[in-house]
Amino acid sequence: MYALGLCARWLHLASSILLVGAATTIALAGRSDRPTARRWEHRVLLGSRGLALAALGSGLIVLGLQTALFEGRGGAALEAGSIARVLIETQAGRVWLVRFGLLAILAAFLWSRLHVESSLDWRAARAQAMLLGAAALVPAAAAGHAAAVEPETARAIALDGLHVLGAGVWVGGLLPLALLLWTAAAEPGADARPYAVLAARRFSRLALGVVLVLVATGTLMAIANVGNVAGLVGTAYGRLLLAKLGLVVAALALAAVNRAVHLGRLAGDGPTVGRPAMRRLATFLVGEGLIALAVLAIVATMTVTPPARHEAPTWPFSVRLSFAALEGAPAASARVLIGSQIAVLGLVGLAAGLAIRGRRLPLVAGALVVLGAGVGLALPPLAVDAYPTTYLRPSVPYHAASIASGATLYREHCAACHGAGGAGDAPAGLRLARPPADLRGPHTALHTAGDLFWWLTNGIPEAGMPAFGRELGEEQRWDLVNFLRALSSGYSARGMRPAIEPDRPWLVAPDFTFAVGPTPPRSLREYRGRRTVLLVLYELARARSRLAEIAGRDGTLALLGVEVIAVPVDAAPDAIKRIGPEPRVLFSVVTEGAQAIVTAYHLLAASPHVEFLIDRQGYIRAVTRGSGAAGDLDKTIAEVQRLNEERTAASAPEEHVH
Amino acid sequence: MRAWKVVVLLNLALVVGVGWGYVFWGLRAARLDRELALARAAAASGVEREWVVAGVVRAVLPELDVLVITHGEIAGLMAPMTMGFRAASPKIHEGISIGDEVRFTLRGVPPNVVVTAIEKTK
Repeated sequence: MYALGLCARWLHLASSILLVGAATTIALAGRSDRPTARRWEHRVLLGSRGLALAALGSGLIVLGLQTALFEGRGGAALEAGSIARVLIETQAGRVWLVRFGLLAILAAFLWSRLHVESSLDWRAARAQAMLLGAAALVPAAAAGHAAAVEPETARAIALDGLHVLGAGVWVGGLLPLALLLWTAAAEPGADARPYAVLAARRFSRLALGVVLVLVATGTLMAIANVGNVAGLVGTAYGRLLLAKLGLVVAALALAAVNRAVHLGRLAGDGPTVGRPAMRRLATFLVGEGLIALAVLAIVATMTVTPPARHEAPTWPFSVRLSFAALEGAPAASARVLIGSQIAVLGLVGLAAGLAIRGRRLPLVAGALVVLGAGVGLALPPLAVDAYPTTYLRPSVPYHAASIASGATLYREHCAACHGAGGAGDAPAGLRLARPPADLRGPHTALHTAGDLFWWLTNGIPEAGMPAFGRELGEEQRWDLVNFLRALSSGYSARGMRPAIEPDRPWLVAPDFTFAVGPTPPRSLREYRGRRTVLLVLYELARARSRLAEIAGRDGTLALLGVEVIAVPVDAAPDAIKRIGPEPRVLFSVVTEGAQAIVTAYHLLAASPHVEFLIDRQGYIRAVTRGSGAAGDLDKTIAEVQRLNEERTAASAPEEHVH
Repeated sequence: MRAWKVVVLLNLALVVGVGWGYVFWGLRAARLDRELALARAAAASGVEREWVVAGVVRAVLPELDVLVITHGEIAGLMAPMTMGFRAASPKIHEGISIGDEVRFTLRGVPPNVVVTAIEKTK
């Protein structure tokens, strides 16, 4: 079933693309009265008719399989009711309907007997075939992965549409052009030779522009669908893309030879120019076309493969490159700097070698050696150990509840060696061959969440760290990763003051969920982009005066866009009752979810009374540690005003740690 | 027939087809929008309505007959917030104190609604 689906998709894609190319190539070559040229045109038209039928037939199979997929049973592929539902109710179905309708019109148009003797009629007919072919091809973009890109869906669809259209012009033009050159190179085709040479030159000019468009749109789409290197080498989609790139490079190499060598030799007569060159060019074009068809087969597979961005990448190498490796290693930094300069020199040499005609070979070879030396010097210090899960995204968000359950797990399973505070100073740990890592330090921040997950799962045998993969579930291990990230963030945040550092958000506020009485639960995330949050962790006995102070300026804070959320550190469910009528507190006092918030945020700043100022993007910008006595709320208000005056809004932090 | 005429007719038919479809759907969507707006207006205006809402009491102001309550969403009236509501009579907030979790009844013609009943849930 899967193989049938792939074949149908490939046939549908290839025939739709070849239809566009055939029409473009005829239009590009222009009208001719030479018999050989007219014979070629007729043969291409006959081919187009066949292609249109193939596109319609394979389209029907694709629709049937799509229906079976949506309905979840194979029988649905043949039921009119199910098919109608897919056609009307799904985006892919509606796009299919539009495309199929246009393809049917195109087929009817190609099969109709039109008289194209006059120049006007010829142009109208050929342009119409081109237009209908393009119109039937481009909407496919709205039913592919591009339609699922968030945000900027319209941009992604436009890019994808441009990409398939470009592919249609380039890929679809190769085979008809090869046929023309082949026919013209034969003995009886002499009358069409100037026509063929002209067509080849025009195609070459157009193809150069189209390939640039393909590269540009392809790169942008790869960024949207794959995202990073891990996605490229670590997922099925990414590897298919790599295979596609490899084939495309091969096709482009053939194209470059065609452009540089064969095209110039088409005119004239002789053993290497004229007809022999024409035949060789035709052979190369067929090669290019076959490679392009293979590329389309990969593309058909990619359309049924989830994009890398939505998959968990498996890093295939045991090292990765990271600038974090240079932290505190001046010698290595200098080496990387020098190496990169040498590499840049090599690149300049390479560009010069390609630009200058004379002495190209020695220049390019020398430049490659310099480039290799530079890279060889610069890269090794950047290498750090990597594991299959290094770029795995946590399946559990960076949330106070996860951090709190991670804290419990840490106490039970890790504290014996790593110490209650994470310093790696517990008695059991000190007896080990290699002392346990200090989990508070920036050390933790230098590793990806996936690295920590790997060590938790498989242990570090040489250091005596046990594996927890069997003992703890996947979610629990991610809880621990989130806890460790909060622990190390807290260490980095020791120096955070009540005053904000303008334009320097870096400390991500863990999300949390809370409720006030029986109202539906809300989360910190809901305030993103809307409100600044003043999170107050208070101890009631000592904080009454501070709560009164905040309550007294409730209106001012609300006007400045501040949402006050007060959390009792004892997590009392009757916190509102305990505050009582004095002071009259009307801001949110958390009665549900307080325990997790207190656990997580005390890791970031431990103090009996502590206030976090969280900006609209979700970063903690200022921390006020105190006793709970009334202070100077005007200072806090001034900081809020500074936040409101910040011009550059940082992008919101990701939901998961990295 | 001349080929250019066929092409012109075909494109004309396509344009007319797309235009007709657009107008058809557009008119239908506009009509549905209008009906929806009418229905909403009818639901919102002039009719006395009643809601039962859960919340927690934040302040009692007997001198104004006002209860300040943090509540969840009140469908068609307001989003979740902390808000003062007038009580229909002073008797209603007898025995109600700060921090009580309550279920209360709001009645009236929006936006003039009053609390007509309240009971503790915890």
